[in-house]
Amino acid sequence: MFEIATRRKPYVLLAVSLVFQILLLAVQVRRPDGARLIRVWAVELLTPAERAGSWALDSVLGGWTGYVGLFRANRENQRLREQLGQMTLRNSELEGRAAEAQRLGALLAFREAHADAQLLAARVIGGAGAGRAIYLDRGERDGVQPNMGVITPQGIVGKVLEVYSSTSQVLLLTDKSGGAGALLAKSRTQGAAKGTGEHLLLLDYVSNEQEVAAGETVLTSGMDRIFPKDLPLGTVVEVHPGNPFKQIVLRPAARLDQLEEVLVLLSKQQWEWERAADEGGAGAPGDANARPAAKSAAPAAKKVDRPPAPGPAIVPAPAKAPESTPAKAPPKDKP
Amino acid sequence: MAENASAPPLMIRGVTEPRLEVHKFRTGAVVGASALALVLQAFVPAKVWKGDVLADLIELPLLATLYFGLSRRNPSRGLLLGMVIGMAQDGLSGANPIGLFGIAKTLVGYLASTIGSRLDVEHPVSRMILAFMFFHLHNLTVVFSRRWLLAQPTPLMSVRILIASLVAALLAWPLFALLDKLRQDED
Repeated sequence: MFEIATRRKPYVLLAVSLVFQILLLAVQVRRPDGARLIRVWAVELLTPAERAGSWALDSVLGGWTGYVGLFRANRENQRLREQLGQMTLRNSELEGRAAEAQRLGALLAFREAHADAQLLAARVIGGAGAGRAIYLDRGERDGVQPNMGVITPQGIVGKVLEVYSSTSQVLLLTDKSGGAGALLAKSRTQGAAKGTGEHLLLLDYVSNEQEVAAGETVLTSGMDRIFPKDLPLGTVVEVHPGNPFKQIVLRPAARLDQLEEVLVLLSKQQWEWERAADEGGAGAPGDANARPAAKSAAPAAKKVDRPPAPGPAIVPAPAKAPESTPAKAPPKDKP
Repeated sequence: MAENASAPPLMIRGVTEPRLEVHKFRTGAVVGASALALVLQAFVPAKVWKGDVLADLIELPLLATLYFGLSRRNPSRGLLLGMVIGMAQDGLSGANPIGLFGIAKTLVGYLASTIGSRLDVEHPVSRMILAFMFFHLHNLTVVFSRRWLLAQPTPLMSVRILIASLVAALLAWPLFALLDKLRQDED
């Protein structure tokens, strides 16, 4: 067997012999730094393999780690998206609460500034038609009665039209049936503001000789016996000459399309009435157009017991159901 | 080592060549001659005048490896004999790491056996030429081993090396003739 192996493949034996002796040399010889040559060779031989193995291992582990990280990132991304949605909702809620607190703060400040007036805070719970009537969460059991004024710190809103046990309907100034006694702040000229069915008001009964400029402030005159005097009513937008009176367009002071909380004037009507009575009846300007305000009520609504107004209330427009709301039977006056 | 090998017909480039004679030696002749060469190379120079110079010029183990490789014409046996002689020489020298001359003499033994199986190397002139060439092959192998494996700067060629190669060539003529006396088939 040895004969065959050595004769057939002597170069194999040669290679084995040379490798054996080279390794033997490497074991004996030391480098100048003291390291055996075999160790140096082993390191030099194994280092590339080790690097390749390390690279392969790092690649595999890196790929796996990246995959796992991506999977986790995807899950975390979904979780964060859900959290973001919740936070956005929560943020909107908090913003709403903050705005509400601000509005309520303004209402409170206004109420404290008018401590002598009996004001009832109410929340707007609904609207009717094209927004020319609104519903409040206060009603008869809260002391609300028809023809009571409804205001905000920015300006007047309208008057109570219908009263139910726990809710009430408010006719906005801008309804064609709505209006209020008006007073030009600069000249102290009185007139009557009427609703147009749109977002603006018309100021009537101001003579052509009277100088009125756009931007002029218009206040309540108090002659309608619904709103106290000198409450903000609106601002003059346009002025046109007319016959026999000027045609003056007003923008309401209160943002009637953004109402959320309002104040109901609980005592104004009685106080006005008392003052008007003291002054010898309703002789204020505009009373030719005035009619008792509480003339209508919903059939389903519980009637409010209140003393009838002894004198004519000064209201610029007849108190009928708003054109934008379903027609309702007029309320019956109770003695 | 058994000396009863018989070489098969040689095939070179598809042509069957005449069978060259494979020489056999007396029992213990190869081992004895090789050991004697090693001993003389290792110990005699220290005992004689200018022995170190003599040791640099004469390479008896190389000539023994070359002779038996050429005569026995078996590459495997030749390289094994060269390896043993070279490693023994390294061990006896005490200065070389074992394997330095071993590698060189392994190559010499393999190539000498390969050449011996293809050429008639019985003529004294061819023996001298082969001794001269193999001395330089041996020297080159040692130099490159020192340079590459041991990181020892070693000159590739020098006058001493040239003289030593000439000495080896001159010495090969009578030495090989003397060793021919140990052949069994010539008795």
